[in-house]
Amino acid sequence: MNATLLRLIAILIPLSFGLGVTLVTLRRPFQPAFVAAHGALGLSVLVAIAGVAGPPGVAAPGDLPSAATRLAHLVRLDGVTYVMLILVSFIAVVIVRYSQTYLEGDPGQARYSRALLATLAAVTVLVLSVNLLVIALAWMATSVALHQLLTFYRDRRPAIVAAHKKFLVSRLADGCMLGAIVLIGLTVGGLDLDVLNAWAAAHEAMPPTMQLAAVLLVVGVSLKSAQLPFHGWLIQVMEAPTPVSALLHAGVVNIGGFVMIRLAPFMARAPIAQTLLVVIGTITAVVAALVMTTRVSVKVALAWSTCAQMGFMLIECGVGAWHLALLHLVAHSLYKAHAFLSAGTAVNVWRVQAIAESRRPPLALTRMVAGAALVFGAVAASVAAAHALLSRNAAASATLAPFTIVLGLSLSPLVVRTFDGGAGSLLRVVLRGAAVGALYFGGHTVAGHVMSVPQGPARPLAWIVVIAGFLLLFAVEVTLACRPEGRLARVIQPRLFAGLYLDELFTRLTFRIWPPRLHELANVERALRLARTLESR
Amino acid sequence: MTATTTTELPDASADDVDELDAIMERACALIAPTWPLDRFIAVNPFWEMVDQPLPAVSSRLTALSGARLVMPRAWFREEWKAGRLRDADLEDAIAEAGAALGLADLHAIMNDEEPVTPRRARFMDIADSERDLERHMSWRDFVIHSSSQFCAAYFDAGQARLAPSRDGGLYASWRRQAGQDRSPALLMGLRNYKSTVSEVPPTARAMARVALRDLEIPTEEYQSYLTGLLLDLNGWAAWCAYRRWTARLSGGTDDALVDLLGIRLAWEWVLHRQGGAGLALSWRKAKAAWPSVDGLASSAQTSDWLLQRASEIAWQRGICAQLPAGWRPRSMAEPISVQAAFCIDVRSEVFRRALERQAPRVQTMGFAGFFGLPIEYQPIGSTHARPQLPGLLAARFRVTDSGVTGEVAAQREVRLDGDSAWKSFKTSALSTFAFVESLGLLFGGKLIADSFGFSGSDGTERAGLTAAEHALRRPRLTAHADGAALALEDRCKLAEGMLRAMSLTRDFARLVVLVGHGSQTRNNPHAAGLDCGACCGQTGEVNARVAAALLNEFEVRAGLSSRGIDIPASTRFLAALHDTTTDHVTLYELDDVPASHTADLRALRGWLDGAAQQARRERAPRLGVSALSDSSVRAAIEQRAADWAQVRPEWGLANNAAFIIAPRSTSRHIDFAGRSFLHDYRFEDDPDFGILELIMTAPMVVTHWINLQYYASTVDNVRYGSGNKVLHNVVGGHLGVFEGNGGDLRIGLPMQSLHDGERWVHTPLRLSVFIEAPRAAIEGVLRKHEKVRALVNNEWIHLFQLDANAGSVSAYRRQAWRVVTSAR
Repeated sequence: MNATLLRLIAILIPLSFGLGVTLVTLRRPFQPAFVAAHGALGLSVLVAIAGVAGPPGVAAPGDLPSAATRLAHLVRLDGVTYVMLILVSFIAVVIVRYSQTYLEGDPGQARYSRALLATLAAVTVLVLSVNLLVIALAWMATSVALHQLLTFYRDRRPAIVAAHKKFLVSRLADGCMLGAIVLIGLTVGGLDLDVLNAWAAAHEAMPPTMQLAAVLLVVGVSLKSAQLPFHGWLIQVMEAPTPVSALLHAGVVNIGGFVMIRLAPFMARAPIAQTLLVVIGTITAVVAALVMTTRVSVKVALAWSTCAQMGFMLIECGVGAWHLALLHLVAHSLYKAHAFLSAGTAVNVWRVQAIAESRRPPLALTRMVAGAALVFGAVAASVAAAHALLSRNAAASATLAPFTIVLGLSLSPLVVRTFDGGAGSLLRVVLRGAAVGALYFGGHTVAGHVMSVPQGPARPLAWIVVIAGFLLLFAVEVTLACRPEGRLARVIQPRLFAGLYLDELFTRLTFRIWPPRLHELANVERALRLARTLESR
Repeated sequence: MTATTTTELPDASADDVDELDAIMERACALIAPTWPLDRFIAVNPFWEMVDQPLPAVSSRLTALSGARLVMPRAWFREEWKAGRLRDADLEDAIAEAGAALGLADLHAIMNDEEPVTPRRARFMDIADSERDLERHMSWRDFVIHSSSQFCAAYFDAGQARLAPSRDGGLYASWRRQAGQDRSPALLMGLRNYKSTVSEVPPTARAMARVALRDLEIPTEEYQSYLTGLLLDLNGWAAWCAYRRWTARLSGGTDDALVDLLGIRLAWEWVLHRQGGAGLALSWRKAKAAWPSVDGLASSAQTSDWLLQRASEIAWQRGICAQLPAGWRPRSMAEPISVQAAFCIDVRSEVFRRALERQAPRVQTMGFAGFFGLPIEYQPIGSTHARPQLPGLLAARFRVTDSGVTGEVAAQREVRLDGDSAWKSFKTSALSTFAFVESLGLLFGGKLIADSFGFSGSDGTERAGLTAAEHALRRPRLTAHADGAALALEDRCKLAEGMLRAMSLTRDFARLVVLVGHGSQTRNNPHAAGLDCGACCGQTGEVNARVAAALLNEFEVRAGLSSRGIDIPASTRFLAALHDTTTDHVTLYELDDVPASHTADLRALRGWLDGAAQQARRERAPRLGVSALSDSSVRAAIEQRAADWAQVRPEWGLANNAAFIIAPRSTSRHIDFAGRSFLHDYRFEDDPDFGILELIMTAPMVVTHWINLQYYASTVDNVRYGSGNKVLHNVVGGHLGVFEGNGGDLRIGLPMQSLHDGERWVHTPLRLSVFIEAPRAAIEGVLRKHEKVRALVNNEWIHLFQLDANAGSVSAYRRQAWRVVTSAR
């Protein structure tokens, strides 16, 4: 298909969401959203198929008006765009269908539908844009539109507080982004992603201004990806309807990862920023994953999980495995959207669990460690063998060893827990391990084909941070699982339960800077006044 | 002031200590239990206060917690405008109460603004009154949130993998955690918190002594003050009360409620120690204002209760007028070919009416849906047995699965262990990352299946079993609950009790169907609330199947015969389950039915399907389903039941208002629109009125619990309902829900079960109970049972007597009967 035309068709996607905003009526609040989301999904699939069939990279002949051509030049179409477009519009379809039933009878449906469509329009603009400034502006717009959804119930004080926190963090991040954009614009002379990435490819050693720009980007991205210690807002926005949480966790909080992926060739030349990203990501992944295990409610546990998963995604960006970050982003979106939307099944899950409860005592530590070593060896050996036989993917090779470690450590509890020494059990364990391994590395291989990964220098320091972090996590987790009443558990539980007190001061600050104001407060005031009159009698 | 006071326990004589303990016990005794979500049965949240009338409880709670247990005046205005509440009803209410006001006055009150009433301040509120609540988090929010989070962690049984140490109980565990908590300092800016909290006494009772002394609470206010503190954490208090309730059912005890009170007191005391002279003065004033707060709370709502009473009179008027028509002699109907016993549940009324219209040869009956079987059920491959009987009772017998081999049990264990290993792969801190990258993409398929309605039900019964294995299961009575063997004598006794309580001892039809009920919803934390309350929030399947099998046993029938109940050999008992969401009825174990009954079965199936269609049509408008053809109504309702986003799959027991204890012929001509519980009872067959006593002390109490749960959740959803379903967040696997991030544990029903977005679907009326039995017999039961007497005398239920011979309906008020309607 004509490349310009294809780009113009892609623009219809955000346009349809945008148009939807204006068509929402009180009587049929979700109808425009329903049409727009399904239309967007259809268009995304069409654009992806056409794009893959005939690569749209080549410039189009001038058979279209020049304005249209100029507009088309604002769009970037490549494997990453297709994946993200389909992901976002698919999530949109799921969330619109869900919300339409879920919010039936709520007086604010039209307001909700408009904010939802506006958010989706902004996200799709961001995904399509080739210009860094447009990306930054669309990101801001996403945040502002989402703010309307997060404060959907305006009489809920915790909702307002969390939204204010998010707003403050986001504006801080916007500042970082704009700072980076100014530095990049001044140095490179343009904000087009292709220009920037080409410039980066030509400059093995980037000047300090560009290194600084990269660091600012990393800080901005970390802030918007709810990395510690600015994660509080993500955890506390369970005060909006469930599908809003699903949208936030599956479609918005991961934009930071997408921006890093977009800037991969540039970031590959920014070692300081990359290392910073790995450090932030590792700390967040390890700490948030542990805090998650102390959470008492299903949605809050899911939120801490997102926080940790975003950390892991940023690690992958930081070590130069952007294709894995893309895989992680997509897989996490699908998983987390489903997890939130089906959070009401928690009781059923509990009931099934209760049927077989307490049949197994905790494993002995020695058995666990010995088992883990065995499993670990088996995984490493089979991965090495498979790699030697099959793989010709350079990007996959570079990251194979570290991720084999992560997989091996992850699989061992699954195996050791369920292996009871019998032949049937051995077969099941091997099949399970093989299935997970195949899906894991299969996913990695496919991701390597979706995007070409720019090669950067090896960064052993970053790898040491990551591996040390995950070995520590493994050690802590195994100890806790084997000795749930042990000394480590007693020392660590209260601190993790308190979220390491990382959020308290920020909450306090938010109250100072931007106090939550509610209608409800007026009533409380009235009642208090009355009480005082009584007292003074 | 802190320099001079110490936390040395005040010198107290043993008598004082006992006295204080007794007061704490009394404060705790006012809290009613809440059941966990997997057995979410209805409770009257004021069950421990029924020794006073509801209006008195309301004004007491208004003063203590701000609750208001009567509908807002605006609602009564709407009722009046809509013509459901008329001047005659208002006049009757005034006359009945002997109130010194006229109709015009009551109108004026109805058209007036809502009264704003203060509640008794705690020290926490005084601390807040000096805080800039716009720029600081309030102490109330903080203390409730933090205590609630801790309770959740302590009681958690399935969400968190890492729990606090539970040594020494709730209070001791909290004290350890509080000792190293830094958030009061960091978040709330509380200086010296650490040194203050280190002086918190080691037990809840010691804490109470110190706090009541230092806060200078007047002795006569102890109990009110303590109850008020518990009501601040009403959800967790109810949870602790549940633990106490279940512990007591099995002869034990549980002290968590006292511990919770200790935690609440500790916060009052810590804040008090930190407060300065200004706060001390405000506190003294606040305490002095308590009596006037009480007075205002009570006077502000007196007249509103006349409006409430009037709307009850309005509804009773219609029913009382219709009832006598049931006693007109009728020509002998066709011979009965099927008897179908349904649960007393109000949803059965719609189906029974439909079935009776379909097939005059079907006789329907109403009975508690657990069919009188005090059982617990241990499914195959399970380590635990779950109760299948009302929450008021303890299980006496054990039911297990027969029909499947031990191999299936082993298989199920392996499969469930596999499931739990996968779950742990998904949720454990390390493997969760590899989980996402390996299996995360598969959730795309699940999203498609769930969004487009391709996935099945959430059913937990079938977990770890193949469809074939599941179909083979035959739940059967196997032992006493303590494991002792079950003698034939026990089975016969059980069967006899069941039939007599059902008033089914003669004239057996060829088919007798025992119909349990269950609902069908997805993704619904409160699903158990829609299942059978008499089966402890499970479906009635197990009870119906066990009961039918028991009554089909040859030896049991022989035993029954020797006890005077002759069941003809041609009579076959059959188990069924009524799906209250889709109105489909499933019949069980049809393979075992002899060929002689094939034709009867075929006819029954046809009638049940016809009745289902009619019942669905009746329910459809309230669900917003407005399809034209029967098949599209069915499709729409089934689609709703399978929709994971559906928050109103059915209306449950909304709008319940009456309980009729009489033969079906008395009420058969009335369309109750799903608002009445129905229990069959023939006093002629109950010479010593033992069955009447049973009905009035068990099913009547259960219906009252359901009625008050709906009532309380409607009039004060913030305190006695669980709020907005779209914000629900399941706590601790099954304990309950938070609305949003945190706050107190929420009890009661969600708004979506009561309100359709525009109007209340449930009309809060106290239950009207109509009993067809001699007055003296009813009075006899009241005399004997204090709690039932309290329910009636304090007007938690309105009691009526039906007299078929006189053709009259009489109301029982202030221990006297008054004829309301008479046919003659």
